[in-house]
Amino acid sequence: MGLAAAGVRAHTGGGRGSFLTRYVLRRLLLAVPTLLGIVVLVFLLVHLAPGSPVTARGAEGGRRVSARAAEEMKRLYGLDRPLPERFGAWISRVARFDLGESFVDRRPVSTRIKEALPYTALLNGTALLLALALAIPLGVAAGGRPEGPFDRGSGAVLFALYSLPSFWAALLLQTLFAVKLRWLPLYGVASDSYGGAPGLGDRLAHMVLPVTCLTYGTLAFVARLVRSGVAEAREADYVLAARSRGLSRRQALWRHALPNAMLPVITLLGLLLPALLSGSVIVERIFAWPGLGRLYFDSILARDYPVILGLSLLGAVATLLATLAADIVLALADPRVKDGMLQ
Amino acid sequence: MSAARRLWKSLPVSGRVGLLVVVALWLAAAISPFFAERAAEIRLDERLLPPSGAHPFGTDDLGRDLLARVIVATPISLAIGVTAALVSLFIGFLIGGSAGYFGKAADLLLSRLIEVVLCFPVLFLLLALAAFLPPTPVSVVLAIGLTTWPGDARYARAEILKFRDLDWARAAKVAGATPARILWRHMLPNALPPLIVSAAFGVAWSILAEAALSFLGVGLSPPAVSWGGILSAAPAFIEEAWWMALFPGLALFATVASYNALAEGLRVATTEKGGA
Amino acid sequence: MNRAGRLGLALALAGTLSCRAREMARVPAPTPPPAPPPAALGYLDEQTGATPVFGGTVRRRLVADPATLNPILQSAVAEAQVIGLLSRNLLDYDRTLRLVPGLAESWQVSSDGREFLFRLRAEAVWEDGTPVTPTDAVFTIRTAASPEAGAPIFGPLFEGLESVQAAGPRAFKVRFREPYAYREMAFVMPLLPEHLYRGKNLARAPQNRRPLSNGPYTLESWKAQQSLVLVRNERYWGPRPPFDRVTFQVVPENATAYAMLLRGELDETGIDAGTLARTNTDPDFGACCRAIEGYTLDWSYIALNNRSPFFADARVRRAATMLLDRGAIVRGLFRGRARVISGPFAPESPAYDANVPPLPHDPASAARLLGEAGWSDDDGDGLRSKEGRDFAIEILVPSGNEIGRQIVETLAAGLGAGGIRAAVRSLEWNAFLEKLDSGDYEAAALGSSAADANPDPYFLWHSSQWPPAGLNNCFSKNAEVDGLIDAARRELDEGKRLALLHRVHALLNADAPAIFVANTTQKHAFRRTVRGLVTSPLGLFGTWPGPAGWWASPQPASAPTPAAGGGAS
Repeated sequence: MGLAAAGVRAHTGGGRGSFLTRYVLRRLLLAVPTLLGIVVLVFLLVHLAPGSPVTARGAEGGRRVSARAAEEMKRLYGLDRPLPERFGAWISRVARFDLGESFVDRRPVSTRIKEALPYTALLNGTALLLALALAIPLGVAAGGRPEGPFDRGSGAVLFALYSLPSFWAALLLQTLFAVKLRWLPLYGVASDSYGGAPGLGDRLAHMVLPVTCLTYGTLAFVARLVRSGVAEAREADYVLAARSRGLSRRQALWRHALPNAMLPVITLLGLLLPALLSGSVIVERIFAWPGLGRLYFDSILARDYPVILGLSLLGAVATLLATLAADIVLALADPRVKDGMLQ
Repeated sequence: MSAARRLWKSLPVSGRVGLLVVVALWLAAAISPFFAERAAEIRLDERLLPPSGAHPFGTDDLGRDLLARVIVATPISLAIGVTAALVSLFIGFLIGGSAGYFGKAADLLLSRLIEVVLCFPVLFLLLALAAFLPPTPVSVVLAIGLTTWPGDARYARAEILKFRDLDWARAAKVAGATPARILWRHMLPNALPPLIVSAAFGVAWSILAEAALSFLGVGLSPPAVSWGGILSAAPAFIEEAWWMALFPGLALFATVASYNALAEGLRVATTEKGGA
Repeated sequence: MNRAGRLGLALALAGTLSCRAREMARVPAPTPPPAPPPAALGYLDEQTGATPVFGGTVRRRLVADPATLNPILQSAVAEAQVIGLLSRNLLDYDRTLRLVPGLAESWQVSSDGREFLFRLRAEAVWEDGTPVTPTDAVFTIRTAASPEAGAPIFGPLFEGLESVQAAGPRAFKVRFREPYAYREMAFVMPLLPEHLYRGKNLARAPQNRRPLSNGPYTLESWKAQQSLVLVRNERYWGPRPPFDRVTFQVVPENATAYAMLLRGELDETGIDAGTLARTNTDPDFGACCRAIEGYTLDWSYIALNNRSPFFADARVRRAATMLLDRGAIVRGLFRGRARVISGPFAPESPAYDANVPPLPHDPASAARLLGEAGWSDDDGDGLRSKEGRDFAIEILVPSGNEIGRQIVETLAAGLGAGGIRAAVRSLEWNAFLEKLDSGDYEAAALGSSAADANPDPYFLWHSSQWPPAGLNNCFSKNAEVDGLIDAARRELDEGKRLALLHRVHALLNADAPAIFVANTTQKHAFRRTVRGLVTSPLGLFGTWPGPAGWWASPQPASAPTPAAGGGAS
């Protein structure tokens, strides 16, 4: 691992480009079957859904509404046609980004997703940035002196946060800050969203509790990761070398230990996306936030299959792309990959 | 006895606390039948009473004693957590173990499968399964098991990869043992310590998942009592009955935290032993 | 079918939505206060003889985003609230529940009761300037009556339609196959602009999100899941509505809406029983707001599947009713603001026979009845069984319906004490309906919230109305009841008709095809500045002009509030 010490900046090698290209190519190639698998899995979800051939019985006795929904299912997914043909049709619709029409309000699924996406992006983006902004200094401070009082104290708190169910936390925060103290609104996006733009302060006040609920889990997770990375790296040659060159402990940790400790964090950033979306389902439901999570949950309750499938597909593909991006960033950042040490 | 003592000694303090709480929870589960009647008894003239001597946790929106309900929910939450974790572990070992053992094309294929499932937001899949299956405990266990196995599969794959080229594994193969036999009789026992750690974390996660499902109204149906189910009634009464949110959530949090602490303790204990 | 028929269908949807908003679910005080005599609740009329103030904005609340603003496809309360200000009906109810002219200035009924001749107002125009014509009416009624349109409320109302045609430049004629006593009520119905909908797919027409108004207001903007803004329709042909703008904000949660009301961000919101009780003592509320409460024609019941092996026997159904302590539900869950009912009408309706007492809460008699019906606990496991079948059932409740869930859990406990094991299952509305319609259930919580005064029991209790044909989700069958209902529908004399309906009431109480639970109140809170409120058994919104007649007064309504304790009548 000594090579990593010299690595971060000093690298200029002949073989670098080709290793990197090969690595990225291989990664991209592997993503193709995964993508295919995602599409197949979503396709299978359709067949779990009531209203499909599996449970067609319900449609016969059903009302016009459900009979219409069943018709729509048939049209969209060709449920009356043989399986291979059905699958081909599904693939071609996915390729054209045709996600169908919502059963609830007859509008295209893509329109409904576009409406909800900014809200989720705002909430989760803020939560993610906040989590990283807090977790990194926390992790560095704790990892800088492992088993020190700060490490032990913060470790216990982070551990508790890690085990804290977000829906319970949300209820407690609502009880305390919205009901008892009346400092913050109980839920919603803004208090006066009609007739003129709502004030920035009002919007921020509405974000505080949901962002808190989405942040602490990621915070605990990332901080523990950074802490262990820093704790390991602080004993490494290159950090010791930096110290011997006269850098302060703080400088050595931040400039040399942290970048290496961040590598595993980068890999996991891609996988944080599905976790955040999962969290959104609960948090957006409790805080009446009109984002993707609430849309997904409402669609589950309403058996709005086109929306359910569209969102599942979107979530999974976005995750795939995020992991791919994270892996490529990692390849660029990690000297071992550059040097062809990692496959 | 001595094994138990060794385990106790090897656990860090937090793990010991976790273990104690877990034992206490199972004891609570054992005595819970004594509270079943009180937990089910509706008294509409005693609705939403705050905590008092007669009702240490207060009463719910139908005048039922919350302490009794929290206790009665314990065995259900624990049982679902443990069985779901086992289902997940089983599927995970089957798929991850096969990937590690057979390698090559099988590994490539099964690893893609693991990756595919990991790409989905867990709660998306979980909600879809739970909402489309009938609301029985079996469905909930299945839904959780079917969505959480990829984590266990990754663990299992890594472990089996370690053993594959070891002498005893080669010897068994040469002796003509079938892959299934080698996996189950030889490799599983060797991979057990990390898998137990994984399962302990899995129990915590599964309990949380069941609570989330019941909280969202697609988990267990009344009169089955689970912590998430009790909590699901709390938002409607958040202005007047904070105790409906506090106590069931506290039980849930304590359970999840103690299983996590126990799992973390086991992880530390097993890796240190392995290193020594 | 009448709009009471919405009850099973669209109306129960109302139940879902309001339950989603957790109407009536909140009860803070530890001990129930003595219930004031419900009779003390009166109805308000702040419009008659008052002078409205013109101008300003009223900020209203919706519990959900409308799925459509197509007046014929509407099915939810939130949709009705918006459409009510955009589209005038052919006929309307006044506060005494009489039918009065709307888009139609007059109408005649043929002596055989089968043919209706409507004359439209000459001045009625759509907001694009086109007149409202018989073509629009003919198109709308034909569309509503066609099964392909799938109009949830108006489709069933026009079953039995024989013909509909224009009769001159301003008149049209509608003819039905059978005479029907309550037929007129079907024409409390808005119209579609034929020139925009002709040849289009009804469900996908762009006008469903950008409706053409012929009423006092027009839609200015609609932000999905958030808000709708209505402004005065400059081309409206009727009297100018007092408010210039109406904003609707989508606020699913009751608690949020209540907080917004207190902060002055909303001018009105529905409230639940717990909140209502709190408003009496909350000085913050008293300073700015007032509460309105009045009995409606709504009632709740628990449907029993009369075809299932458990509830085929009337003795078992009666026993189930006697195992539910409805008095305790009225006292505990509704805080006294509800009335136990003995049959399928609200006490406010003339069809309700006050001489029929509800079955008592009587577990001992229930046990005897169950024993007589062959359900006994032979093995002593606390569970009754018959011919090897355990009496274990599932009770369905629409998800999000707090009060429904509470009633059903109470019933489950009551049944449990009587040796019947009952599990509660909450299902989303459509899944719930699917189970009910296919008869794949044992018991289910339903509500009837009548949007009109039609008490016709045909749709819910006549054996010809089993799903999918109708809304008899109990699958009940009683030849005597059928005969009486048929006679009542043909009887054009009101006195004789009510006598027939009273006999239906008594028979259904004894036969107990369902557990009739209670008749309830509408509870609403307003900023004190909002005046011109009118309430009736159809509530605040069921009569004309309703919210289109409200205004903002510089002198707010004074204390004491006409809240609990009785509206000034």
